[in-house]
Amino acid sequence: MPVVTSFRRLSEEEKYERFMQRIEAGEKIEADDWMPEDYRMTLIKLIAMHAISEIMGALPEKEWVPKAPSLRRKLGIMAKVQDEMGHGQLLLRVAEDLMAPLGKTREEIMQDLFKGDLKFHNVFHMPAPTWADAGLIGWLVDGAAIITQTNMLDASYGPYARALKRICAEEVFHAQHGESIILALAEGTKEQKEMLQDALNRWWEALLMFFGPASSETTGASKQDITIKYRIRTKTNEQLRQDFFTKYVPRILALGLKLPDETMHFDEKQGKWIYKQPDWNKFKEIIRNNGPKSKERLRLRELSYYHNAWVREALSGQSAAV
Amino acid sequence: MSDGAKGFYQVFEVFSRKNDTAPLQHQFSLLAPNHEIALVMAQENFMRREPVSDIWVVKRSDIRMMTEEEKTSLQRLDNKDYRTTKGYGYLKKKWRQYEQQMLDEKEIFSWKGEIRR
Repeated sequence: MPVVTSFRRLSEEEKYERFMQRIEAGEKIEADDWMPEDYRMTLIKLIAMHAISEIMGALPEKEWVPKAPSLRRKLGIMAKVQDEMGHGQLLLRVAEDLMAPLGKTREEIMQDLFKGDLKFHNVFHMPAPTWADAGLIGWLVDGAAIITQTNMLDASYGPYARALKRICAEEVFHAQHGESIILALAEGTKEQKEMLQDALNRWWEALLMFFGPASSETTGASKQDITIKYRIRTKTNEQLRQDFFTKYVPRILALGLKLPDETMHFDEKQGKWIYKQPDWNKFKEIIRNNGPKSKERLRLRELSYYHNAWVREALSGQSAAV
Repeated sequence: MSDGAKGFYQVFEVFSRKNDTAPLQHQFSLLAPNHEIALVMAQENFMRREPVSDIWVVKRSDIRMMTEEEKTSLQRLDNKDYRTTKGYGYLKKKWRQYEQQMLDEKEIFSWKGEIRR
């Protein structure tokens, strides 16, 4: 790339052209670099949602910390819940630096969540009534998350790529933590096997929805085109869903579990998995915070935010002048 | 938001060393109200598993970072062989003529132990 000595004198079009050249050459964009407005807005929306989903995703799992069946399982799931909160912290930082020029901070992210303007991932609106659900979240929900996140490891936005690198390294532990719970149940008593099958039946539709609709025609909006154009990710929602099937369906079947979709099979000719579509209207309701556990989990997050407000005030320094 | 919470958070950059001879490595940033809490959070956020022997936290506002434009001046011209061992690789062959070995990086770093004849 030629050395630009008077960057500020470039026109907006020239800056845009230079930006596209940079990302197409595999260069990383940093928080203070020039970027197109829709790149910034897309990243803010994506990463704030990702951050908040990590934090909201800890809620269904944390229910199982006091009820874990052994001390070792309790330590394992506690470590995992703490990781999720840590991932939330990392990603919030990435979103906050992007929002800084707009005068927005973590406070606005939290308020947007409470008001329902900022969505959290559809999969975290679902109940986790049994220990098999806890295991299934670790195995398949984290598995789906790993498919999505590894697809963005080479994202054009440097801070996000670096955060994902840290996150994916820990996801490897999460995947194995989930597998360990699942395998124990799959090799367990008749009741344990049934509990596992029930959990799979319960989560199947949510797992299909996890990757989002194949096109924006389904739900009216989809950011996949713009995220691909700007090299934030490379694969479409449907490609990611197919990848998930390829990696996990053989493992599900190997454990003697049944897929809750009798039509599901791999079509050799088309080279893809054929499956029954989930109810996308249900998906639309869930992302409007009308899922089975949406309100309850939002309320929990809100209460803990306000219950702990005194800690922030006490440490802020402004209340130190006593 | 109450007045007390306003200005609560500051951005800290976190650096750590894996062991006493490793270089300090940038980890990530975090929000904290002061250095002490930043240090506690740095350990919780970034050092839950990996070995670590030291952690530094620095207020981002105290760091002078490079701008996008300034970074373009960091590009190296591809003619710096005279500064690196790469430009002196021919010595290996030369020394062979004198039945001696070149003192390369591996050889020189091995001198921290006992020097053998």
